[in-house]
Amino acid sequence: MGTDDISAELTRNTKNAPPELLTRVFFFICAALSVVTTASIVVLLVSEAAKFFSVTAPLVGFAGETVSMVDFLTGTTWQVGSGEYGVLALVSATILITVGAGVISIPLGVATAIYLSEYASTRARSILKPALEVLAGIPTVVYGFFALIYITPAIQTLLPDTGTFNLAAASTVVGIMIIPMVASISEDAMSAVPDELKQAGYGMGATKFDVSTGIVVPAALSGIFSSFILALSRAIGETMAVTVAAGSQANFLPPWDPTSYLEGALPMTAAMIQLLLSDITGGGLAYRSLFAIGLTLFVLTLTMNIISDVITQRYREEY
Amino acid sequence: MATEDRTIDGFGQVSRTVGTVFRYLLLAATLIGIVALVILLLFVANDAIQPLTADPGWHLTFFATLVVPTLAVGGYLASRNQSAAAVGVGTIGLAVVTTMFAGGLSLIFVDIVDSITWAAAVLTLAVPTAAVVAIARVSNRSPLELLAVAVILYYVSLFGVPGPLRSVVGTGQLLPGVGSAVASIPVLPVDWMLLFATFTLPVAVVVRYYARQLVDDRTATAIVAVGLVAVAIAATAAPTAGITPVPATVLASVVLLPTMTYVTTTALSRPHDRVGLALPGAVFGGSLLGAVAVRTLGYAGPQAWVDWQFLTSAHSRNAIDAGLYPAIGGSILLMLTVAVLSFPLGVGAAIYLEEYAPDNKLTRLIDVNISNLAGVPSVVYGLLGLGVFVRYFGQPSGTVLVGGATLALLILPIVIISSREAIRSVPNELRQASYGMGATRWQTVKNVILPRSFSGVLTGTILALGRAIGETAPLIMIGAPDVLFSLPADLSSKVSAMPLQVFAWSSLYATPEFYQRAVPAGVVVLVSVLLSMNSVAIVLRNKFE
Repeated sequence: MGTDDISAELTRNTKNAPPELLTRVFFFICAALSVVTTASIVVLLVSEAAKFFSVTAPLVGFAGETVSMVDFLTGTTWQVGSGEYGVLALVSATILITVGAGVISIPLGVATAIYLSEYASTRARSILKPALEVLAGIPTVVYGFFALIYITPAIQTLLPDTGTFNLAAASTVVGIMIIPMVASISEDAMSAVPDELKQAGYGMGATKFDVSTGIVVPAALSGIFSSFILALSRAIGETMAVTVAAGSQANFLPPWDPTSYLEGALPMTAAMIQLLLSDITGGGLAYRSLFAIGLTLFVLTLTMNIISDVITQRYREEY
Repeated sequence: MATEDRTIDGFGQVSRTVGTVFRYLLLAATLIGIVALVILLLFVANDAIQPLTADPGWHLTFFATLVVPTLAVGGYLASRNQSAAAVGVGTIGLAVVTTMFAGGLSLIFVDIVDSITWAAAVLTLAVPTAAVVAIARVSNRSPLELLAVAVILYYVSLFGVPGPLRSVVGTGQLLPGVGSAVASIPVLPVDWMLLFATFTLPVAVVVRYYARQLVDDRTATAIVAVGLVAVAIAATAAPTAGITPVPATVLASVVLLPTMTYVTTTALSRPHDRVGLALPGAVFGGSLLGAVAVRTLGYAGPQAWVDWQFLTSAHSRNAIDAGLYPAIGGSILLMLTVAVLSFPLGVGAAIYLEEYAPDNKLTRLIDVNISNLAGVPSVVYGLLGLGVFVRYFGQPSGTVLVGGATLALLILPIVIISSREAIRSVPNELRQASYGMGATRWQTVKNVILPRSFSGVLTGTILALGRAIGETAPLIMIGAPDVLFSLPADLSSKVSAMPLQVFAWSSLYATPEFYQRAVPAGVVVLVSVLLSMNSVAIVLRNKFE
């Protein structure tokens, strides 16, 4: 990709000399490994999840305890002990956390991106950008501990009804965690807006505020939206912070009700960790349910990544 | 925006208020996340170190010996000579980061790999490598012949003659491999001398390579030679201070050698910035002076939970006795495994995609695939490790190898993406010049692309490794134990890790004692390791961009 025709011409004679061939094959295997990884993820998740549902189990020749796919997708009770696998109980918690994280990270992230790309001096940028990177580099289990020990008591002093495990604290830390993602992708999109457009704006007598909100943001809108989707997909897959802070009791909470945030619930990722920690037998129903949740999670995040790709590709303003 | 209406009576008059308010709102929004994190980190540091439990006299002493001189020197440098201040900060940073690094390495050399094993391994690889390089230099052999010679030499070095082919040849072992030959020498030198020869000397070669870029050849050699003597003295003198020679050798080679070299080369090559060395002098001298002063005056320090006992003991049911040692060792081993697995694979993939790949469907598939893999949640990678490595390949669950492989797969897309950026930033003229001189593709990659992009690749890899150390979920998924009382002995023993231990303390041992002591202390250790890795990466990036 980084090469042009001339270099291909120049190296054609030596193309198949042993060292060339060896190194090229090695590099190709490295690159192909990523495809193998994806393929094994898909095959593994699909084949194990297929053994979980009664509809698909006969197709893979599996005879054992299974769960109806309709019950899985529409049930609102998650009780592994009594064999109730209603994933909506988990999905509702994930949705609540993702929305809460989005409410925090989207405005802050976009404002950060505008500040960094339009207002900040070079010196300020050289300090703020690494600081934001650190925000994303703190281990998520540490964020979970922060939520549990420092943020939850703070929320409890304001709203005494809040439980020890609650979604509000969990969404707050997940939101803080994904600010850098929204900010850096949006900022890339804003920096890609050509200078001519901005200068045309200034030439027309617009202020910096007008240029930022009237030219830069609209021109970079596709990049900004794709940053939202990527960051939210990250929030969905976020595991340790929510495992520590959100609670361990599966609990269907209506996502449209703001008071849900004061209660604890079990998001999908936390449910997987909980299943793993509870001595499940390999190959049993609980073990296979792990892969069913994993598949749901994978499909969800993959779809969001693809949507974000499509948005950047299709709606990008070409200059 | 609303200029049209105003043009009639006041052309060009625009209120500044909106713009100013907007600007400060943006700044505030930018700072909110950072400030929130700083506050949380201060809280946790306060819980872990408890500065308020110290005597007021302790604080006063250190204020007088450490804080005041440091602020005075730092303020003077910052206002007069910024590049000298940078040298001072750089020296302190180098000392701190190398000390951390040396601590980890000492742990490995003391408890996991003994000096003889290490020396044997280094010699086993070094002897045939040197021989192959020498043959390639002296005679003009074809690559295939060289490869054959290399295979034979490595085989002999690893297994001896005839090695595993014994049953085919039908004779007994005629010659031992280099490793077993070293192990069978009846009189071995003292273990720190083995380390000196096989660990300190390679470090010295690397340090000299960097010193060469600042001063001339002879000076560099002299500086490094003095450093080597210093390491030897440190190792011999260590027992008098109650430290065993092996960790002393490691500490001296990793901390003393590079820091001394940095200080002397800077002093020689940048005379104007020499004054900057007063800053580390103030900091380290002040700490030492303060430590001596509080001891003689009898002031008690803070009752920090992060102390030597915490760093060197294993988990305990009792929060006061609980420590992080096996988890630290596990994290180090995991990091090494991940680095060994993901660095060559990630850089290789990046080189293929940037330098070799034709613009076809397969390339685009790989490209899209990598960016999607970067978005796959870490639990799903954990499932992959569990389903493929543990269940399908039948590896025992929770081992260093399985954990390392899973984490390596997790960070591979990040390594690939950042390496590609670094490789892409190599100017095209350099490639064209190389090809124009008749270089082949591999020669261009080896002599032009890799050296030019190395620091960028390294930065990306360090950041990715930081991500790997902080991950907990995949380790839980592959069945790493929550609590481990001893260090993993090799790649196939169970492993714990720092974040996993912190998680275990904050969820399974959820008592107020653990919340107030063990967890904050663990968080402080984990976050300091990650912050130092991040700052190394950022310094590298700023330096070479």
